[in-house]
Amino acid sequence: MDLNLNAIYSGLYAIIKYSTKKILFKKQWIITLLIVILMGFVMGYAGSQDWADADILDAGMELMDLLILSFILPIISMIYGASLLRNEIEDKSITQVIIAPLDRSISYLGYYISLVLSLSLIMAVVCIVGWLAFFGQVGVDGDAAGILGTMIVLTTIGSAVYSAMFLLTSIMFKRPIYFGLFYAFIWEGFIGLMPGAIGQYTIKHFIRSIGAGMTDFGSLGSYMEADGGIYGALIMLMIVLLGIGALLFKNKEFP
Amino acid sequence: MNSQQNATFQQPMQPQGPPPVINTINLCKWYGNVIGLNNFNVQIGDGITGIVGPNGAGKSTLFKLIIGSIKSNAGYMGVMGQKPWGNTKQLASIGFCPDYDFLPLSMTGREYLEFMGGLHAMEKTHLKNRIAELANIVKMEKDMDRDMGGYSKGMKQRLKIAGALIHNPKLLLLDEPLSGTDPIVRRDIINLVKKLHKEYGHNIIVSSHVLHEIERMTSNIVLIYKGRAVASGKISEIRALIDQHPHNIVLEGKNIGALAKSFLDQPYTVSVGYNHNRESITIRVTQPDEFFDSMPALLENSDCKLDKMFSLDDNLESIFKYLVGW
Repeated sequence: MDLNLNAIYSGLYAIIKYSTKKILFKKQWIITLLIVILMGFVMGYAGSQDWADADILDAGMELMDLLILSFILPIISMIYGASLLRNEIEDKSITQVIIAPLDRSISYLGYYISLVLSLSLIMAVVCIVGWLAFFGQVGVDGDAAGILGTMIVLTTIGSAVYSAMFLLTSIMFKRPIYFGLFYAFIWEGFIGLMPGAIGQYTIKHFIRSIGAGMTDFGSLGSYMEADGGIYGALIMLMIVLLGIGALLFKNKEFP
Repeated sequence: MNSQQNATFQQPMQPQGPPPVINTINLCKWYGNVIGLNNFNVQIGDGITGIVGPNGAGKSTLFKLIIGSIKSNAGYMGVMGQKPWGNTKQLASIGFCPDYDFLPLSMTGREYLEFMGGLHAMEKTHLKNRIAELANIVKMEKDMDRDMGGYSKGMKQRLKIAGALIHNPKLLLLDEPLSGTDPIVRRDIINLVKKLHKEYGHNIIVSSHVLHEIERMTSNIVLIYKGRAVASGKISEIRALIDQHPHNIVLEGKNIGALAKSFLDQPYTVSVGYNHNRESITIRVTQPDEFFDSMPALLENSDCKLDKMFSLDDNLESIFKYLVGW
């Protein structure tokens, strides 16, 4: 690998700037908008209900956990992650990157970083809209703000891990969306709910474990708290997924 | 390939001294059962070189192998003395303008060139000056700040060339740059290619499926057919080679039989035959130039009124068939 740092920095910056702009302003933004509206609507409706006998903070956290960590985060990650490189390969706009004198694994890293940045931003917007729609009606205090902070941190971590996985699938498969649907709905949605250890082999489990150490509210507050092993496993998973993706991208032919 | 073609074919040599721009030895590339290049041997030097071949001959495959976006299955390829696959460093010396559209249409021309400059790690001020210079070279000064979605085909083509030139490469690859353009744009691009070599010193490899378009840019050509380099060298040498093969010419008109008889006495005539309607003949000749020179006199003496005359061998496909001995 060429270790000319100036070239790496310049190439990375160009790809991150170009790709982030493309992700945020390309046609998929309509999907994001619909999801943000859905989030606002569901949370707003929930916030308008009578919560006299229930703990508002538990309810708000529970709703955000269910909607964001279990549904919106993997789905949005799949939509953007699986299509970013695949679309460029299909429409051949990848040409401009592969003819640059930049090591392809660095280019891959550039795509990854832009995906993580974009997803984190989108998820932060989703969290803020949902949080405002709910807590805006039932009352905001320090604990409620803590819930928002927790969700933003967890979705950022989630974006980093899901991006590594779905970006890899966009290099491995011609139709990565099928794998994405399988993973999001079958593996995380169904296998993840099964009793026993198998339910722990999901990204959602890792993220919720980390979340358990950050909040006392909702079912997340009583979830199995992460120890060093879970952090290590999550970081290792990301590195392995990124490494395989970079290696495949480096050795991929673009006919 | 027959012996005559072998006589003019430049067999590739292992590089000695300054390496050739492109050197291939028995290079093969196939996509599953489809052959891209098959025992492809060629040596390309400095200057402008035209790669000519019908669609599907392997021109784009050759370019993709040069830039290392695909990997050969067998044989050797040297690009300025280095193997291209996995050699991203070398891309600093190569500019590539593909035959397909890949420009991000939501960007302006300037943004696109800035992006390309960033990928080539160009310093900001240098990049700004280079963009201004290129806008002038490709005559796009007024349109640099417009979205590329509103560009015409010719403007997109010129901007693609500018993108390929942003880092001032030694070698510029232009894959079918004239494809789908109108005659004025074609003329402009041809002039631009000549200028890029003459004034800026770029070595250029340009492909086309139309021989006469390449002829207007360079006299050095490589003819590709079905994945093989069937001939390479000066166009005049290749034309001479082609002229040694019999040509089939169709003549139509009144009293064509009299004209047919007069051809039988000519030294260049191989055969004369009536076509289905008896008002048309196909004559096979060895020296087409002599045939065309003698035509006026023969017509005058035969009392034939000629309505139509055309060669069955004017297309590139038949030239290639001659050269491969089919």
